[in-house]
Amino acid sequence: MNTVATTTPVVTSVAKPTTMRSARGLAYRGIRNIRRLPSAFFPAMAMPVFTMIAFAGTFAAITRLPGFPTDRSVNWFMPLGICFGAAFSGIGLGFSTIRDIETRFYDRLLMSPAPRRSLIIGPLLTAWVRVAILCAFVIPMGILLGVRFTSGLLGLLTLVVAALGVSTISLGWGLGLAFRFRDMRGAAVMQLTMFVVLYLSSAQMPLPLMRGWLHNVARINPTTNILRLSREGLVLPTSPDYMSWSNTWGGLLAIAGMSTLTLVFARRGLNKLDK
Amino acid sequence: MTVATSNIVIETTAHSRQLSMRQTIAMAKRSTIELARQPALIAPSMFFPIFFAVLSASSFSKTTAIPGFPKVESFMQFALASTIVQGVLFGSVTGAAALATDIENGFFDRLLLAPTTRTGILLGRLAGSALFGLFQSAFFLTVLVPFNAPISGGIPGALVMVLSGGIVSLAIGAIMSSVAIRTGSAEAVQGAFPLLFVLLFFSSAFFPRETMSGAYKRIADINPISYLVEGLRALVLEGFTFSAVVRSLLVPTVICAAAILFALKELRRKLAAL
Repeated sequence: MNTVATTTPVVTSVAKPTTMRSARGLAYRGIRNIRRLPSAFFPAMAMPVFTMIAFAGTFAAITRLPGFPTDRSVNWFMPLGICFGAAFSGIGLGFSTIRDIETRFYDRLLMSPAPRRSLIIGPLLTAWVRVAILCAFVIPMGILLGVRFTSGLLGLLTLVVAALGVSTISLGWGLGLAFRFRDMRGAAVMQLTMFVVLYLSSAQMPLPLMRGWLHNVARINPTTNILRLSREGLVLPTSPDYMSWSNTWGGLLAIAGMSTLTLVFARRGLNKLDK
Repeated sequence: MTVATSNIVIETTAHSRQLSMRQTIAMAKRSTIELARQPALIAPSMFFPIFFAVLSASSFSKTTAIPGFPKVESFMQFALASTIVQGVLFGSVTGAAALATDIENGFFDRLLLAPTTRTGILLGRLAGSALFGLFQSAFFLTVLVPFNAPISGGIPGALVMVLSGGIVSLAIGAIMSSVAIRTGSAEAVQGAFPLLFVLLFFSSAFFPRETMSGAYKRIADINPISYLVEGLRALVLEGFTFSAVVRSLLVPTVICAAAILFALKELRRKLAAL
């Protein structure tokens, strides 16, 4: 009787590994790694700043083209920089996962009773925190360089939503490749594919001002919708790309669709790794 | 007797020069074969510049009408020179990283132990980079010229561009080799690459200086990469003129000479420290 009485509280005190609890643990680990291994996070911070400054300066004259949606090149290129940074935040976690697989830390995670879902949700939460840090750093810097939100806080919100969406997509893609390649060969594929997908869109020029093959590719590339979402609060109110539901839903749909696809890709990769 | 001795000295010097040249050629051959055997290392420096050129040509095709933009047949014609410089920058870093790897894995020490010429170790490696730069330049021109990017300077202009590409490769290779010798770390060489990338972006490589304004224009005005690219661009847009040839060869040659001297100084410093 006594034994039962002493055993019961012990059993109930053991934390049941729920998805969110395990995910939070993994997220904390990922966030701590930002401080412990800043060199791994640095490119994701440096790249948007560099893209914003270099592109806005080099290609400043493109705003003189008739029909260009803004009169400030920095307004056009800051969202691109943030989306690049968000993509690299997600991919960076793909790199970390490869490192964990190589150092066998991932084997220990797979042996633990943590729900498998949490191995994807945890890094996802880390990616979102990274994007929040990125936005908190790059947007004020952009404002100092002359960025003006033409539709107020709503413009800021759509930009952040687009960045979170890009990081979710890139994380799913990065994890999926990490689980399949299981070594640093996957890192090159992650970077290259994200780079190409982002560039084959309206990254540098608005769709109506493009010509030839790139126009055709960018028109069907869902990333164009996400970039439109990110920029709709930064273009001139007279532009057809200005803040409106018709310029928003396409981006949200693209984020939902691409995120689902890449996260399913990651989950199936994890299942393969688990076997 | 004195004549005989001086003859021997002259013969020995000539023999030593021949030997030194043979060793440098052997080192150049080794670095070229090393690059050719690792296609995964050189593929990005061949693929990315072409990708960016094709992308920019389609993205910025309408920008050629902006006031201040040079008279061109297409944006691709404008981008031809920057593609060569960009590709050569990527490629030269690979060569310098290989030198750093030699230092890391001890091969460099074995070369020093052997009775080889000291400068040949560096110059051979750089010659390999220059050959690769020549190949890259010829490749970019062959691939891109058919896409409405004619070279006004014709075949002689194209040949000078290829030669200039080789010299630029030699210059950048020497700069990055200095980093390799000083640090002995391939990671440090790769880490220094973004600096070159930043220099490239803050120049007139991707857009003409005439369309820039403010701080960006001032930076592009003092950036040597602007003059490297503009020299090559002159051959594409202005034709095979004396001024264009001098500009496309003189700027890279001056940078190259300074960079090689600096790299040799770094090598001497390293040898003295051993």
